[in-house]
Amino acid sequence: MYYNKKETVAMLLAGGAGTRLGVLTRDVAKPAVPFGGKYRIIDFTLSNCINSGIDTIGVLTQYQPFELNQYIGNGQPWDLDRVNGGVFVLPPYMRTGNSGEWYKGTANAIYQNINFIKGYNPEYVLILSGDHIYKMDYDKMLDEHKKKNADCTIAVINVSIDEAKRFGIMKTDEEGRITEFFEKPKNPVSTKASMGIYIFNWQRLKQYLIADEEDKTSSNDFGKNIIPNMLADGLNLYAYEFDGYWKDVGTVGSLWQANMDLLDANSGINLSDGAWKIYARNMAEPPQCVHSGAKVVNTLMSEGCVISGEVKHSILSQKVTVEEGAIVEDSILFPGVVVKKGAIVRYSIVDSGVVVGEGARVGEENATLDEIAVIGAHAIIQKDTVIAKGSMVEGRSL
Amino acid sequence: MSVKGIIFASDREVKLNELTIHRTTTSLPYGSRYRLIDFALSNFVNSGVTSVGIIARKNYESLMDHIRMGRDWDLNRKNAGIAVFPPLSFGSGEMSKGKVDSLYGIMSYLVNAKEDYVYLTNGNLAINVNINDVVAKFEKTNADIVVMAHETIPSTSRRVVLEVDDSDKVNDILISEGYTSIRQLVSLGAYLIKRDLLISLVQSAYQRNQMDFEKDILQRKVGSLQMYAYIVDCAYVIDDIKSYYNASMQLLNDEVRDELFYSNGRIYTKVKDSAPTIYKEGAEVSNSLIADGCIIGGKVTNSILFRGVVVEEGAEIVDSIVMEKGRISRGAKLSHVITDKQVHVAEDRVLSGTETYPIVVAKGKQV
Repeated sequence: MYYNKKETVAMLLAGGAGTRLGVLTRDVAKPAVPFGGKYRIIDFTLSNCINSGIDTIGVLTQYQPFELNQYIGNGQPWDLDRVNGGVFVLPPYMRTGNSGEWYKGTANAIYQNINFIKGYNPEYVLILSGDHIYKMDYDKMLDEHKKKNADCTIAVINVSIDEAKRFGIMKTDEEGRITEFFEKPKNPVSTKASMGIYIFNWQRLKQYLIADEEDKTSSNDFGKNIIPNMLADGLNLYAYEFDGYWKDVGTVGSLWQANMDLLDANSGINLSDGAWKIYARNMAEPPQCVHSGAKVVNTLMSEGCVISGEVKHSILSQKVTVEEGAIVEDSILFPGVVVKKGAIVRYSIVDSGVVVGEGARVGEENATLDEIAVIGAHAIIQKDTVIAKGSMVEGRSL
Repeated sequence: MSVKGIIFASDREVKLNELTIHRTTTSLPYGSRYRLIDFALSNFVNSGVTSVGIIARKNYESLMDHIRMGRDWDLNRKNAGIAVFPPLSFGSGEMSKGKVDSLYGIMSYLVNAKEDYVYLTNGNLAINVNINDVVAKFEKTNADIVVMAHETIPSTSRRVVLEVDDSDKVNDILISEGYTSIRQLVSLGAYLIKRDLLISLVQSAYQRNQMDFEKDILQRKVGSLQMYAYIVDCAYVIDDIKSYYNASMQLLNDEVRDELFYSNGRIYTKVKDSAPTIYKEGAEVSNSLIADGCIIGGKVTNSILFRGVVVEEGAEIVDSIVMEKGRISRGAKLSHVITDKQVHVAEDRVLSGTETYPIVVAKGKQV
């Protein structure tokens, strides 16, 4: 096979189980979770790639891959159905002699796909994860990487000292060169957090991946192994500071908050910006219909919705129905949710296809981020049922 | 049985004034996010008809821009797919004089086709039909031609009225102009016919300089050919401002939307990747259809907004249609108005038409 050489190949890690999202990731991988009315979480990373001029992307899947695979399809919605390059779903696979294994860690996932990357003979590999909401021009980061003559560039964002414990934290010198790196430190020495976005010189990375694989004590992880090893060997690692909107949506609270940020003009994330569009697979739904007597305010809503009730400060995905007398407030409704007559949904995330029965009550007013009620996909909430704040209701298999 | 689709992108009879200066009727924006041709293309694809010819007459740039390679309808196929015939591709090098002329101009396309049937349709039709059901009726009745029809009080100016017996066999065809208030069975300008028969009918009519498909073929042959009507409950023919306005407002009815947008499959259109619509704190929207990508701060009642429309705080839109990227500024009021794409209505301007005569504002104008 002959492939055109690509300067940069992106590898998007999309295999995590996303357990902290509970019932929302029972049947789908986290990157395939709906977001912002008409998107899936992975749309942000895929759109960032294509908007940055990167057209060759491997998506590494492992946990519950079907919906994600189907969603990505041939990559057409992101203009990634290419003769040269495009988007490829890369699951773990068997090798000769019946060997082969699951992706053991982030670095091992890339190690197992060395031959995929080799095919494009790239200069650089961009490592991404599929569970962050942000708009970023990777090309600018690559320019910095080249200018600094770096072996590895890590995108960093300033976080609060409390949050810092959850991230890879680094110390840099005046030039931005990384001097120390700590993965999820108990006592953070800085607030510069890794965004999980790395650019590596491919030849250098390949060498470290192979060495890391030979080290049986390694967890095969970028943050725990590859980065510290490169630092220890005195390689050129630089931080690339990003000051735009960036949100890790790994928890119910952060997923709810990131959705609500879309309603806040000052939050720093703007979906209507035509210069950096976020692309999504289109569901071919008819326009939204707001009936007489309905009220929709401070809300983001998508195609196919039919609203007869009251919707405030909420995000409604495609084909949501809110019947007469129903109230939806401070909530996120995934595609196809039906809220029946007189039902009330507050401070909740309601997964795809859920039916909230007449007069039922889901969630409660003024819930905190830890008290968002979550209803799993296709669950049926019976008439007049009350679901307390913070509850998590199991979904239903179709 | 295999079917080839043919769409006539424009018809000389259409009277849509400002709305069709820049485009064919078939690329007329309709229903918040569609162009009329989306219905024909989606009906074809949903029925497994993947070889579609589009006969353009004039102003077809917007049509080409909309269709591109047909990808949004899944019609960018290695085998079959879309073929667009621009007007001057016809043998004579002149603008075609009618459907017969147009079909004669693509004779080699018809002759070389492999399909048994041809489904011909005007592009000015909002309908959701499964063409396999039409084929089934054709075969059951042993018809020569099936004429798609609906019972209605026609809101269009030219109409082809069918007289049928109990088995829907067409006994007479009447073509008339002008409005009426009588309920009639009217042709939708769509036909299913065997390819071989179509070729011979077109050749023989063309040789006699008969260019009107309805008058010179259907009407003349009603005695000698077996014609059956296939009656559709929900369909809209759009050929003037009145019928456009009426067919648009019908979409506010849930049953009409279910029928047109879901009954025999989805209606696909060019995907524009607009963000979801933002309803601001002061938005008051009632009995309206809204596309994605709008930002609504004002009042919208009994209206249809296309993609990317901005309604500023204090603006009021009633009984109106605002096409793509319209901007209605603070304090402006629209009532019974159709604004074409990219119209800006400035602050405090008041535009008011009537139900039977809505005001039309041409593309890109500032008011």
